[in-house]
Amino acid sequence: METTAAEQKYNFEVVRWFTVATVIYFVVGTFIGVYIAAELAWPFLNFDNPYITFGRLRPLHTNAVIFAFGGCVLLGTAYYSVQRTCGVRLWSDKLAWFTFWGWNLIIVLAVITLPMGFTQAKEYAELEWPIDILIAVVWLAFTFNFVMTLANRKTSHIYVSNWFYLGMMVMITYLHVVNSLAIPVELFRSYSIFSSVQDAMIQWWWGHNAVGFYLTAGFLGIMYYFVPKQADRPIFSYRLSVLHFWALMFGYVWLGSHHLQYTALPDWTGSLGAAISFAMIVPSWGGAVNGMMTLSGAWDKLRTDYVLRFLIMSLAFYAMSTFEGPVMSLKVVNALSHYTDWTIGHVHSGALGWVGLIGAGAVYHLLTRLWNAEIYSVKLVNLHFWLATIGIAIYTIAMWISGIMQGLMWRDYDEFGTLTYTFAESVAAMHPYYVLRAAGGFIYSVGGLIMLYNVVMTIRQASGEPRASVATAQA
Amino acid sequence: MSDRKNPTGAPDTGHTWDGNLRELTNQPPRWWMITLYLSGIFMLVYFVLYPSIPTFTGYTKGVLGWTQMKRYEDSTAEIAAIRAPYEEKIKSLPASEIAADKELVNYTQRSVKVLFGDRCAGCHGAGGAGNPGYPVLADDDWLFGGGIDTIQQTITSGRQGMMPGFKAMLSEQELNDLTLHVLAMSKGGEHAPGKELFVNKGCVGCHGMDGKGMQMIGAPNLADAVWRFTPANEESVKYTIAHGVNAPGAAETRNAVMPAFGNQLSETEIKKLAVYVHQLGGGQ
Repeated sequence: METTAAEQKYNFEVVRWFTVATVIYFVVGTFIGVYIAAELAWPFLNFDNPYITFGRLRPLHTNAVIFAFGGCVLLGTAYYSVQRTCGVRLWSDKLAWFTFWGWNLIIVLAVITLPMGFTQAKEYAELEWPIDILIAVVWLAFTFNFVMTLANRKTSHIYVSNWFYLGMMVMITYLHVVNSLAIPVELFRSYSIFSSVQDAMIQWWWGHNAVGFYLTAGFLGIMYYFVPKQADRPIFSYRLSVLHFWALMFGYVWLGSHHLQYTALPDWTGSLGAAISFAMIVPSWGGAVNGMMTLSGAWDKLRTDYVLRFLIMSLAFYAMSTFEGPVMSLKVVNALSHYTDWTIGHVHSGALGWVGLIGAGAVYHLLTRLWNAEIYSVKLVNLHFWLATIGIAIYTIAMWISGIMQGLMWRDYDEFGTLTYTFAESVAAMHPYYVLRAAGGFIYSVGGLIMLYNVVMTIRQASGEPRASVATAQA
Repeated sequence: MSDRKNPTGAPDTGHTWDGNLRELTNQPPRWWMITLYLSGIFMLVYFVLYPSIPTFTGYTKGVLGWTQMKRYEDSTAEIAAIRAPYEEKIKSLPASEIAADKELVNYTQRSVKVLFGDRCAGCHGAGGAGNPGYPVLADDDWLFGGGIDTIQQTITSGRQGMMPGFKAMLSEQELNDLTLHVLAMSKGGEHAPGKELFVNKGCVGCHGMDGKGMQMIGAPNLADAVWRFTPANEESVKYTIAHGVNAPGAAETRNAVMPAFGNQLSETEIKKLAVYVHQLGGGQ
């Protein structure tokens, strides 16, 4: 049968492990997020215990969702789709397993060192230098295996999803290496080789491009494989994919400076970043348009195919947050939005909406293909979808209100030319929104827990017998 | 493939991957192409308007003449213009005269709210209501004096009281007796064995025969029910007598330091704070 042949032809085992790890990290990472959101609303939850204070758990949360969840879903889907679109097995099974165990070792090291307070103090690059080196090694092994598999391909052309994965690998390698350049002084202590505002610029050049290449280009790779596959429709426009691919690759690297407007950064650097950021709305939308137009004439599938719903809803959030971000980078908006919760809301509409939903959609798709099984409960997929959507809505709306209110309170002054509110008053005003945010995050995380249950039950039920038909999650 | 799967009717690129993955040769939507070009134009216009392009010797300044420093100066100038008439008066008058001018007091109260909230309330609580270990400002009990000029002096230079620890000089029984006496004094009474120690061991040197303290050196009044260190019980009082306050070299001593703000705030800001804090407690 076809599935048996595919099983022998491709290395699916490593993809299965990545898939299960993805779901576990999704649940763990989001629940840590819920806990720290609750700490902000009810500070007694710090329990005067340094290991679980917000300052230490927050990097654990970001590392868990970006690198543990995001990394596993990227490596797993990249290995899966590169084999299928090239018609060949991975170049090296051993190297693939090395990346699985290596990546998980990095995650374990993060779980140990971050609560202990070891940090390079660089956002989204907190891990200390020995772990940074390990990341570089594992990432290059992943890249090399991917490139060699592409080189061995049986197809004449390289499928579009692979361009995006490859773009991510090249750019993340050089971003990670340059940003992590440091002089070690102890096993878990080092100093950046860059100083002052240059260090800040390098940090945000990395910080924004972790979003741009890892969480956007990489996840567009997922989109370009899983959307047409799940919808069983051809990609709407080859030309559009070429145009927005190159626009993203050349455009994104310039954006980092919009994180540092109205600081010691020179004026020209800030406006250069802001201008290119704003010009990136349309290229970003290219991916969303291509994905959505791929559904032309198949929109009825959204009524019945819950997996497709995840994928399409993720594109809607992608389009929304790639519009919001550039608007926030404009000087006049940035003056209000910077340092407020609006930024947190923006990040989470992208992270929960785009990255989280497309990741979950890919996981559900993989579940049926890798274990040759129908999904244990399609109703639970639907429940997960609605919990996720409602959770994101509560979260982002709470942060919009809270963030804009913060910005307005901080700048407000009365007829005597004096500030109207103390900082403490602005903090007190945030409280209801912090509670709402924790609630929204909790609802979203419960959705993840339901996915974990569904995955476990599906795998347990999987008979392993090959199936004749292509599985779709149909109600 | 059937039309059902390709309602747009455009041919595909002729490649197929993984069984059913194809790409159609549709042009990108017209609105997308138009907005893509507009984005490029927007970017170029922005580069002309704002400082954007690095050159060998500096960078292009942009035709608007915008700089973030100028933006900052413009917005602060707007505020400074509103404040100027009041601020000039406050600068030229001593705090006591400001406190007597109704209009200036009104201005001071408004303008000091955030200053006090951000700089003082962290220790002294919102509205000067105090916090455990930090003095209440909203009463008329003063350690170093509640005159407006004294308060200004306190904010400018900070304060640091000092009391030696008596642990080495007194026996356990003596410490207990002294503690009971101090507690009794706060209620208008006395504890005879403790009173003798209070006089003989030198407490009176700073706190006075009647225990009413000495504001000149910040020695607190022990004959009222206001306590510098809470809770007001035997354990706390005994600890203070045993270990002292800010006693040099004593690790267990009580810490009680008001930092100096003279190098952090302007003279006018301090004057305004003095006027505000003075009227919080009713003013002496």
